Amino acid sequence: MLEKIFFFLCFPSVLAEMLCQPDAPEGFNVRLSIKTALGEEAYEWNRNEKFFFQAAIAYAMSIHLKQEFSVSDVLVCNETPRVSFWFVVTSPANPLLLIDKANVEMAVRKSRNRINSALLLSDTTMEFVGALPTLAAPFIPATPPWLIVFGVVIGLIAAGIVFLLVSTVVQKKRKKNQKTDEEDDDEEERVKTVENRNRSDGVYNASFSDDEPNTQM
Amino acid sequence: MAKDARDNWKNPTEFVLACVSYAVGLGNVWRFPYLCQMHGGGGFLIPYLLMLFLEGVPLFYLELAIGQKMRLGSIGAWTAISPYLGGLGLASVVTSLYLCLYYNIINAWSFWYLFHSFQPVLPWAACPVNSNRTGPIEECERATPTQYFFYRETLNISPSIQENGSIHTGQALCFLLAWLITYLFIVRGVKSTGKVVYFTATFPYVVLFIYLIRGITLHGAINGVKYMFTPKMEELSNPTTWINAATQIFFSLGLGFGSLIAFASYNQYHNNFEHQAIIVSLINSGTSIFSSVVTFAIYGFKATLNYENCLERTRIVLLNTFSLAEDSITIDNVFEWIGKLNKTYPEQFAELSCKLEDCNLESELSTAVEGTGLAFIVYSEAIKNMPLSQLWSVLYFVMLLLLGMGSMLGNITAIITPLRDFKVLSCISDEIFNGVVCLVCLLLGLGFTTSSGNYWFTMFNDYGATFSLLFIVLIEVITVSYFYGIKRFDKDIEDMLGHRPNWFWKIMWAGVSPLLLIGLLLFYVINIIQGGIPTYQAWNKDLGKSEQMEYPLFGLVFIGLLSVSSVSCVPLTALYVFWQRRKHAQRHKQQCTVNTVAA
Repeated sequence: MLEKIFFFLCFPSVLAEMLCQPDAPEGFNVRLSIKTALGEEAYEWNRNEKFFFQAAIAYAMSIHLKQEFSVSDVLVCNETPRVSFWFVVTSPANPLLLIDKANVEMAVRKSRNRINSALLLSDTTMEFVGALPTLAAPFIPATPPWLIVFGVVIGLIAAGIVFLLVSTVVQKKRKKNQKTDEEDDDEEERVKTVENRNRSDGVYNASFSDDEPNTQM
Repeated sequence: MAKDARDNWKNPTEFVLACVSYAVGLGNVWRFPYLCQMHGGGGFLIPYLLMLFLEGVPLFYLELAIGQKMRLGSIGAWTAISPYLGGLGLASVVTSLYLCLYYNIINAWSFWYLFHSFQPVLPWAACPVNSNRTGPIEECERATPTQYFFYRETLNISPSIQENGSIHTGQALCFLLAWLITYLFIVRGVKSTGKVVYFTATFPYVVLFIYLIRGITLHGAINGVKYMFTPKMEELSNPTTWINAATQIFFSLGLGFGSLIAFASYNQYHNNFEHQAIIVSLINSGTSIFSSVVTFAIYGFKATLNYENCLERTRIVLLNTFSLAEDSITIDNVFEWIGKLNKTYPEQFAELSCKLEDCNLESELSTAVEGTGLAFIVYSEAIKNMPLSQLWSVLYFVMLLLLGMGSMLGNITAIITPLRDFKVLSCISDEIFNGVVCLVCLLLGLGFTTSSGNYWFTMFNDYGATFSLLFIVLIEVITVSYFYGIKRFDKDIEDMLGHRPNWFWKIMWAGVSPLLLIGLLLFYVINIIQGGIPTYQAWNKDLGKSEQMEYPLFGLVFIGLLSVSSVSCVPLTALYVFWQRRKHAQRHKQQCTVNTVAA
């Protein structure tokens, strides 16, 4: 009787040792870089933190496979001072059956954000070796922002050019009007001087003038 | 009705600022620091300053004198000196045309980067995510995010010059904007240019100064500055150093394009261009040195950052492989640990050796980059790591734009001024003529916005102007010294300035500069012949880096056309004028005999 009880008590841990091994085909190697992520506020990796991790994985598995996983279904082994370890997930129905790698990976990818924030880490500081990260969808705005700035600048430049061209045309018109006014004035003057026979205009044809203005010898 | 008098600069300051704006361009920022690094840091200043006084300032003085005396653009000015030499001016115009076609594309890229800086995260800071959101886009992972942004998103570059692809709409829009702004600046000739240069000549210095302060306060900047200023005197014994110094001075001052003649033709007759020539040349060289201090501070920052990232990655690899606690290895004792681990676990370490990178600060600092690679890739990489990166990005690209636009003003004026001297074209109004020139250049330049556009740009940049300019300026200086005569030139300058030029100038014009130019020309030709088939850097998207490819046949033909088309204007025009004169002389003789017969 005592032996049976002893056997049943030791069985889970022995089982765990058998199922969870480094390089297990259904297992994942996890590396945590707590000091890199948190610096001064880094926490010690201990049994409590391990428990938290197991709970997060159980949560992820529950969400993905829609079954009720508990903390004891996540087996952790081979912890190193690096803070890296291997873990495997067993099925809640059958403790001897391991959930295959693909499902574990999908579950982790789906809830990666929640697992990361549970341990205050990120995709780079908590590495699931071999699992592909899920990157946030890029935010694509309706109009590319560069086009907006471009539109503003080209609008200003075009306005500047139009303004300069229009002002040139206006100036030219004004000059033309001024010139026609001046020309009218000039014509009037010329008419007057022709009438007054002002000698300083035109070529003076001496053959038609009197010699009287010239001093006589 | 009297013809409109020639436009003038409102005051001599506008002229000086226009020359500064033209001469201080992108080359000061992206070519000089590279040369400094390649040729022994601080020691490069010796050949550089020597060449400035032997070659740069005398030739600059010469071009200003011709422009101010003749009061015509390059074609008219050289025709006035000798009718057979009108081709020299025409060669300058053709070379300026080639330059105008491709130079504005750089401004288009600057606009693209500037507009993309108005985002919460700079687009070249991180790789975009691929379609199934499992990781970054492969091309971006193999290269770096900044290279990916430049080659893929900005240029959408094709694998080689043969594959043409379509026009990149964003590029074309920015190119259009660049030409619209150029038109706005020159629409009324020197009246508008004169006002614009107050800004384009001075604001880049403000930005450079701000960047200097930001640069030297960056972590690791001092490594770069120390590297730059430690002179390696043995480089001075290498003839390439001297040749590069001479070539850099020559191209940096923008000689031979006709822009200086054009600018000076709008001067008052008695303007003291002697002092102005010296001032502008010194400002140009000073700016080169100033900007290289800034560039080296940025280099130092980037190199130190890369080195520390490399050490960090090595640290992580060691931690992961040997499962050591996180705080056992720090960045400072990575190398100690490598040694320790190598001794204790030699087999495991041997497996690791392929993954371990060789982290070396010296090698990071010595990766010298020039040209568009420096301006758009290296600088943007440094900027993305600075705090408040959007602000620094905007400032930097605004500076690049001002430098580029300032040089464009000179380039386009070099085409417009000589063409407007022709009576046929001078009746068209300023605005329409300038608009037509800008439109033609815009349409022809759209080819540079296609997928292979960058390769064509490189071809134009490397071969479009180099040979032509050396040839043009050599003929210019020989013409003035021996054909026109130093004595006549002396008298002209005395007429304008009130005193004869110093004997120093005369020795330079008649002796030293022509010899230097002949040397440079010979060296350039020998280099081309010895270099074999010209190559270009093609972007390989599978490898994520550039690789050298040879130009195909049509590329080589085009290179030949570029160089020959401008140079051949000189002999062709001389022959044409000679033929015209002979025809005219024959006709005149016939007429005289007819007259004598009739009388």
